[in-house]
Amino acid sequence: MTDKPSESDKPDEAKKEEAPAAKPAPAKPPAKPPVKELPKPVFNEHPTHPAYQGRASRLLHANRMAPNRVWEDKWRLPRYRNGAIMLAGILGGLTVGAVLIDRFGMTVWMKLWNTLFAVLGRVAAAAGASADSVAAAKAFAETSPWIWSPLKVILVLHVILVAPIFLVWWERKISAHMQSRFGPMYVGWFHGVLQTVADGIKLLLKENIQPASADSWVHRLAPAVVCFPAILAFAPVSFGGDLIAADIDVSVVYIFAMAGISVVGIMMAGWGSGNKYSLLGGLRSAAQLVSYELPRGFAIMPVIMFAGSLSLVRIADAQSGTWFGFVPRWFIFYPVVGQLSFLIFLIASVAETNRTPFDIPEAESELVAGFHTEYSGMRFSLFFLAEYAYMLLACLLMSAFFFGGGNPPLPGLDFVPGWYWFLGKTMALVFLFMWFRWTFPRLRVDRVMDLCWKFLLPWSFANIAFAGLYLLF
Amino acid sequence: MTETAADNKPKLKSDQMFINLGPQHPSTHGVLRIGLTIEGEIIVNAVPDVGYLHRGTEKLAEIRGYHHCVVLSDRWDYLNAMGNNMVFCMAAEKLMGVEVPERAQQLRVLMLELNRIASHLLFFGTYGIDIGAFTAFLHAFREREMVLDLFEMVCGARMTYNYIRLGGVMKELPKEWLDRCREFVPFFKKRLAEYDDLLSFNPIFLDRTKTVGAVGGKEALAWGWSGPNLRASGVPYDMRKFQPYSSYEKFDFEIPVGKDGSCWDRYYCRVREMHESLKIVEQVLGGLPEGPILGKGVAKVPKAPPGETYAAIEGARGDLGIHLVSDGNMSPYRLHVKAPSFINLQILQEMLVGQKISDVVAILGSIDIVLGEVDR
Amino acid sequence: MGNYFSTIFGAFTAILKGMSVTFKTMLKPATTVQYPTEKLVPYEGYRGALLFDADTCISCNLCVKACPSFCIQLENATNEAGKKIAKVKWYTIDFGKCNFCRLCEESCPTKPKSVWHSLDYEITFFKRDEMVRCWQKGFEFIGKYFDREAKEFKKPEGQVQIQTTQQRCQY
Repeated sequence: MTDKPSESDKPDEAKKEEAPAAKPAPAKPPAKPPVKELPKPVFNEHPTHPAYQGRASRLLHANRMAPNRVWEDKWRLPRYRNGAIMLAGILGGLTVGAVLIDRFGMTVWMKLWNTLFAVLGRVAAAAGASADSVAAAKAFAETSPWIWSPLKVILVLHVILVAPIFLVWWERKISAHMQSRFGPMYVGWFHGVLQTVADGIKLLLKENIQPASADSWVHRLAPAVVCFPAILAFAPVSFGGDLIAADIDVSVVYIFAMAGISVVGIMMAGWGSGNKYSLLGGLRSAAQLVSYELPRGFAIMPVIMFAGSLSLVRIADAQSGTWFGFVPRWFIFYPVVGQLSFLIFLIASVAETNRTPFDIPEAESELVAGFHTEYSGMRFSLFFLAEYAYMLLACLLMSAFFFGGGNPPLPGLDFVPGWYWFLGKTMALVFLFMWFRWTFPRLRVDRVMDLCWKFLLPWSFANIAFAGLYLLF
Repeated sequence: MTETAADNKPKLKSDQMFINLGPQHPSTHGVLRIGLTIEGEIIVNAVPDVGYLHRGTEKLAEIRGYHHCVVLSDRWDYLNAMGNNMVFCMAAEKLMGVEVPERAQQLRVLMLELNRIASHLLFFGTYGIDIGAFTAFLHAFREREMVLDLFEMVCGARMTYNYIRLGGVMKELPKEWLDRCREFVPFFKKRLAEYDDLLSFNPIFLDRTKTVGAVGGKEALAWGWSGPNLRASGVPYDMRKFQPYSSYEKFDFEIPVGKDGSCWDRYYCRVREMHESLKIVEQVLGGLPEGPILGKGVAKVPKAPPGETYAAIEGARGDLGIHLVSDGNMSPYRLHVKAPSFINLQILQEMLVGQKISDVVAILGSIDIVLGEVDR
Repeated sequence: MGNYFSTIFGAFTAILKGMSVTFKTMLKPATTVQYPTEKLVPYEGYRGALLFDADTCISCNLCVKACPSFCIQLENATNEAGKKIAKVKWYTIDFGKCNFCRLCEESCPTKPKSVWHSLDYEITFFKRDEMVRCWQKGFEFIGKYFDREAKEFKKPEGQVQIQTTQQRCQY
């Protein structure tokens, strides 16, 4: 049963030839039996799917992919080098673009605007209207809240609805690279950017199954009740400078109130599914969300105390300037108080958005199913969207409260516009959320509650006391 | 249950609910069904139900020759296929009186330890997923791919190897195999350190596993536990040290022993076993003797003399044994597999009572069963 | 009191260590292969789909006896006088039963071997009939299946194909 060449096959003729010859004749090995010509290698393209036909395909020899070899000379791998260059290029391009838009955007826009109205003026003059009415129309368009408010609202809505497309793609890519794999690569021209769009279209085309024992209207309304407050909560958030939909004086309270309404939606989802496991899961999730709202709110107290205002714009403004010329006056740099508030707010936000390590309601939690089990199609994707919107909101709030939201890290860098810094800080915090999700295991439900009530809440109270002491001195 | 004073207090009326954990469930342990009777959050009764993967291999073995039975043996504990091959070949060689040459013995040790690493890597990954850490799974499989590539180079298959044969091993090592194996060892050492950082000492993981599933040494022995489970409960029993087989006595390695038999101890025992297996692999690579790889005296269609024998090895799951009865024909008369997973499972009916539902998966995962072995 | 703070600090550092592991892995290149457009070629000696060469087979039945799943069947060819010769008339492997154990290849006495494992792992079938593969003189290495509706031997389309140069044992 072995594969060693059998010794007995050694040529007997060769031995016989060698013995009588005077000069040593070279031993002739026996002629190898003629091997049938094997067919040339055929690369097996996927037989039925036309999308795979014609794509560049390669056969890879397995010994090239061993991880130790790939990682040892990773800079010699073309895909790694090109990837790094591409990333650097994208970041640089974004920065340069932001600077250019900031510097020249307004002038270009004003030129276009004025040209438009000049053209309109000529058209109106030809039609017989006076020049005053055109000027009045122009002033109306420029300053009227009837036009700008709806426009801002629509813009904010678009941001919230489009951001999850990018965030989901980014999460899949980051999770993939943390796990030594690629993530979406196929849909869309560049590394699967349109994957989320494709998934969204797929979910839209799916049937909205409703269980027979479900409470029909409650079941149908629940995704909306979870999603609307997420969108509403973005109203007073300033994306740097005066890019804000509604500058309310009590924006912090408003945002937390909106975030709290979604709990009702989750309980509706749990009840309306008509499934006792969904109900249990929904109740657990609701308990978790409601509990963690407390540390969130209390962790913000010191920030509000320092800034002296509940408005996000003023909180961000209170963090402009520097100490000693190079340390920015961000609230996170305030000794003890800043870091403690940030950590408590971070942990509580991760728990609020139902992300690992607090994702009992979301994951296949052993036996008790989550509240969104009985949802399919677009209703499910609304829950998904709400989760990413809340995550984005939490990161926006964190960058506004703790990282100066719009203020550059070093004083000399304010040629780059404020919204760029704001976005950058937010994206860094979003990356932190994703990093948490893919590193940590899940906490058990009772430990989640323990963490909130026995750890975060007392520390948030102590934090307020520290802030008071700080303000006193 | 006897009446206690507590039973006389007026209690909240709560219904007992019967739910099935399995046979399909997200924790990838195979087709195991546990019928749980729960009252609120606490489990009142647990009945493991096996047999979904029963293929009748013990009966099939009675009509197949010994070489064919080696192929059958691959499919019992499919994650530790080399171990299955090994134990069957040990039993048959005992019966037939075949001497295994030195090189073949050390090659067997090498393959067994690499297979133990692969099996424990899979345990590590799937236990991570059970607890919720998804990344650990993919990291473990990246390393497991390297081990499987090594196996693919030597015997051509990645899971059902059919490599350890009666009297030796199937094939000689290819030329570059030793170098590849030597590359693997330091790479894997670094990864083991990473696994400790990523999962073993993660406070959330510790919190989840250190407080549940404690099994004392006496209780473990009473239930017939073996393998890393038993060692985690404090009993330093390892077949490789107690009854060394196939030149294990030549190698220097330790047996990791746990303290309190919690889920974390069982998990960490297996992680430390990976370290020790790596040590053994290094030692074998350091001095592999030359020589034949197949012993003499094994016919093409072997017939074992009448008799019976029992052979056991330290499989990745525990004490894997084969009871082989022969009546002189070319097939065994009776082949019984003492499967450690089957025996380790039994404790669930007692251990799960009183636990919360969320801990069931942690406990079940830490016992590390493979249904191919449970059901045969 | 000190214990409380040291546990918190210990937990904090352990969490940061875990996060650094995933961060470092993120910065390293991925080790996977984009399957349909990039395919891995297994190492030589890989036990893929079986191939058969009817010309070199001497119809000795050793592979039939060696197979543990009884999936090989063959029939001897006969010469004009009706006597059996050392050539095979037809040879069938049921891939539904084959467990890729290599016992048939090892027991084949011809040089080069008449039945051997290729490196093909994309063994998929659309019909159950395609699983039972038959070889006769003149059929290709991958054999043909008997289509019960059409009642003829057909080459399997787009399924078991030779992935790359296969490992045909010369021993």
